[in-house]
Amino acid sequence: MGIRWDAVVDLATVDIGTVPPPTPRFVIDQACGPIAVDVRLFGALASCGADRSFRLELPARATIADVFVRLGERFGEPFLALLLDETGAKRRYCRLFVGGYPVEDVNTPLSAGADPSEIEIILLVAPEGG
Amino acid sequence: MNVFSPRQFQTPARDDVWVPSSCSICYGTCSILAHRVDGVVVKIEGNPDSAVGKGRLCGKGVSGIMTHYDPNRLRYPMRRTNPKKGLYQDPGWKRISWEEALDEIAEVLRKVRADDPRKLVVQRTTTVTASRVPFHAFASAFGTPNFSVSGGGQHCGNGAHLISGIMHASWSVVPDFDYCNYAIFFGASKGHSAGHASCSNMGKAADARVRGMKMVVVDPLCNFAAAKATEWVPLRVGTDAALALGMCNVIVNDLGSYDGPYLQAKTNAPYLIGEDKLYVRHAESGKPLVWDLRLNGPRPYDAVAAADMALEGDFMVGEKPCRPAFQCLREHLRKFTPEWAERVSGIPAATVRRLGTEFATEARVGSTIVVDGVTLPYRPVAAIAFRGAQGHRNSVYNFYAVDLLNQLVGAADVVGGCLGFNPTSHGHPDTGRVSYVPSAGPDGLMVVGSWMGYHYPYPPPPPRLPKNLGLQDLFVIGMTSPFLDSVDSEELWTKFEVPYRPEVMINFGANLVMSIANKDAVAESLSRYKFIVSFDLCLTETSNFADILLPDCGYLQSLDSRSNFPFIFSLPGGLGEWCWPIRQPVLPADGEQRQFAEVLLELADRVGFRADLNAAYNAWLDLQPPYRLTGDERYSYENICDRELKNNFGAERGLDWFKSNGVIKWKKKPQEVYWRPFVDVRVPVYWEFLKPIGDKIAAIAAPRGLNVPLEYYDPLPDFLPCRSHCCDKPGFDFYGFYYRDVVHTNSFTMENPWLDEAAQLDPFSYAIAMNRAEARKRGFSDGQMVWVESETGRKVKGRLKLTEGIHPEGLGFAAMCGHWTDGQPIAKGKGVFYNDLLELDWEHASPVNINLDLCVKVRVMAAESAS
Repeated sequence: MGIRWDAVVDLATVDIGTVPPPTPRFVIDQACGPIAVDVRLFGALASCGADRSFRLELPARATIADVFVRLGERFGEPFLALLLDETGAKRRYCRLFVGGYPVEDVNTPLSAGADPSEIEIILLVAPEGG
Repeated sequence: MNVFSPRQFQTPARDDVWVPSSCSICYGTCSILAHRVDGVVVKIEGNPDSAVGKGRLCGKGVSGIMTHYDPNRLRYPMRRTNPKKGLYQDPGWKRISWEEALDEIAEVLRKVRADDPRKLVVQRTTTVTASRVPFHAFASAFGTPNFSVSGGGQHCGNGAHLISGIMHASWSVVPDFDYCNYAIFFGASKGHSAGHASCSNMGKAADARVRGMKMVVVDPLCNFAAAKATEWVPLRVGTDAALALGMCNVIVNDLGSYDGPYLQAKTNAPYLIGEDKLYVRHAESGKPLVWDLRLNGPRPYDAVAAADMALEGDFMVGEKPCRPAFQCLREHLRKFTPEWAERVSGIPAATVRRLGTEFATEARVGSTIVVDGVTLPYRPVAAIAFRGAQGHRNSVYNFYAVDLLNQLVGAADVVGGCLGFNPTSHGHPDTGRVSYVPSAGPDGLMVVGSWMGYHYPYPPPPPRLPKNLGLQDLFVIGMTSPFLDSVDSEELWTKFEVPYRPEVMINFGANLVMSIANKDAVAESLSRYKFIVSFDLCLTETSNFADILLPDCGYLQSLDSRSNFPFIFSLPGGLGEWCWPIRQPVLPADGEQRQFAEVLLELADRVGFRADLNAAYNAWLDLQPPYRLTGDERYSYENICDRELKNNFGAERGLDWFKSNGVIKWKKKPQEVYWRPFVDVRVPVYWEFLKPIGDKIAAIAAPRGLNVPLEYYDPLPDFLPCRSHCCDKPGFDFYGFYYRDVVHTNSFTMENPWLDEAAQLDPFSYAIAMNRAEARKRGFSDGQMVWVESETGRKVKGRLKLTEGIHPEGLGFAAMCGHWTDGQPIAKGKGVFYNDLLELDWEHASPVNINLDLCVKVRVMAAESAS
């Protein structure tokens, strides 16, 4: 008795198995100039009247959040509301992949490599039960 | 034992092999070995090489042969010829070719997708867990958010799973059978019947009982768990929260036996609460404040050592009076005296007091234990709940109150305590996949590391004017919705300005007419669809509403790369092994049967959205280069399964490797199983987030004429009565409820002749259980035929089975029996269709998680003709 609940584990000696963050594995090179990205929309996003495939030119140091801004400008607020909630956070069921790798943090910087990065966005079904 | 190889499978004659695969007679999905001799499956056993069942298989699993060889299986696509749809309308089925069927379905889907893809509703049974990804991917790619899992979700999922997710980062909870010494079950049968990881849990529970674990089962019925328990505590139906809150009060206010250091370090108990019931927040960062005892002042929760956080006291932050959440909880609990609990639940106050004392004493607060060389907190007690406790209008608070018992003594995801299964995975040693760990979300509260879908339990998204037919984007705590089928669905859609209506349904194996609520309500809903296509094994009461029927392959004929993933669903919790089995065909399709997953791929091709479906599969399976599906290439389902396995376990472990080996497994680490001390997350013992959600929902609903009772959105749990508890009609003196029979799965298995025989030998399976003494008072006799009538006038007829093993006010119905379709001649006319007594509307759903209320106040009358 009297042992602190959170003091029994020696974090320094135990492998706590930190999960690698699901960040894209493309090279981030923010020293370069404008960034071109190819955006591909799928599912509900592709069937609501928007172009499903297009290229965006973004300034250096652009992030995923800047892509969302451009999408809002291009397709309007109702479209953006499909991707972001009223607080501006990405909806959890909105999955976004850069170069084939999932990105959750909208502040993730984009790559300015020789080839445009491909960004895929799809809305997944949210509820499940059983 | 011969080892299976694909080459042998193709040999036309004289084979004798045991094929490793996965069961699918219930969603437990235990690993099996199917013995095939000369092209015929002659036996099914558990696969001892797998952690999922560990070689054990229940009676349902071994009976799977009879479901496979049922002569009533569908073998050809069929189209209805009778345009009239109704419960007793003969569809006039006519055999058609697959080409005709898929042409017609594709044309309908193409039109509706061009019009508004949200008009498609995708509906599936939960029994085939591996159908989750193919149907979710299809719906996502098509562009509809409208997805449902029928009664399975509405009867348990909205409460049990969401709350297990918030408090344990898992789909469900179990006692840590390896170390638990005292488990209390509230309306749950984990380890004693069907369900998640059922066979594994049965073995673990049996070993625990032999070891001496005391088990207390709180349930109106002396059910399958209670029959093996140390003590059965009968209670009034739906009053679980009363007992749990009474026990919490004993632990906190009578005994003071709570785990203060745990509450400080791992919960929001120290967070300061203002008079508005909300967190008092730091002006700059917005973070909840705690009272720092060392500095004697308020500071953000992440700036103070846990040991310095005040749990009690009254403080002022600026001009604002406040107190720690634990102090609020402590004061709140005082009203739940054992005597109050007795009045509500019928459980004697002395029993409430004793159970609270036993739980607190057995928790050994402050103790540690060394497991595999790792020193860990040791709390060998667990309180668990499942459908029985939370299948009520008070769903959230019933489950929340039960789990508070664990939280108060620190018995959450530590050795011997209440475990989520399996919230933390570090992945396979070779690849690091699949790995996930809960993380700290808004206000430091826990966000699950893995989930079955994208409707995470916490943080709930902001409520909005709904766009989904199920209204889950308004009632954001809910998952599966009753409002797709409810009698007031049109009224609700109109109130909330939903701009479209459902027109087309794809159903996979769900028997909605029987599995949700009264058949008339669901039938009315189904008859509004312009077109329904249904994948089925046999005709069901629901497939009679379909326009086209597609003959599905059974589980012995099917392939799936993830029969048991996510691990939070049906992989056993506790120490042992991680295990990834597959399902593979043991037998070929019969007639023109085709596996649903392949059919969905072909439909996407015909409609023209294969690129979307490939993208959806990439997202659902988390495929990464080089295994991602690209463009609109026409991958087979076998190819997709192969890619998923290689993606997770390396290029050398694709589908061929799994077909030969059946499973891959590796050892669990103690810090994965008992993860709570290692992960810096907190769970809410004060659900502050409920209040603003309730306020926002009410702000949307009230101007549109829907009253949302905000007492259900208070941050602290209470006992709020069901409609049944408020019924005072003379003569209506029983609480009807149903329980999941150990020999049956939902409404699915009554057609299996072996299980039907077992059920007929069981005096309860097809009967209505009534307390013997109460029956005598009313002149009822054992075996008598009776009518049971709800207060709204719905009636079912059945045979009484008198027993001492049921609460005097309870009336227990087994499973979901009472089939009437000619397509299932074994099942037809057996047992009682309890769900036909259930109302299906807003008034009978939880206002928070929209779970259906499953208890009904009824009267019992002698039927004219006895048998």
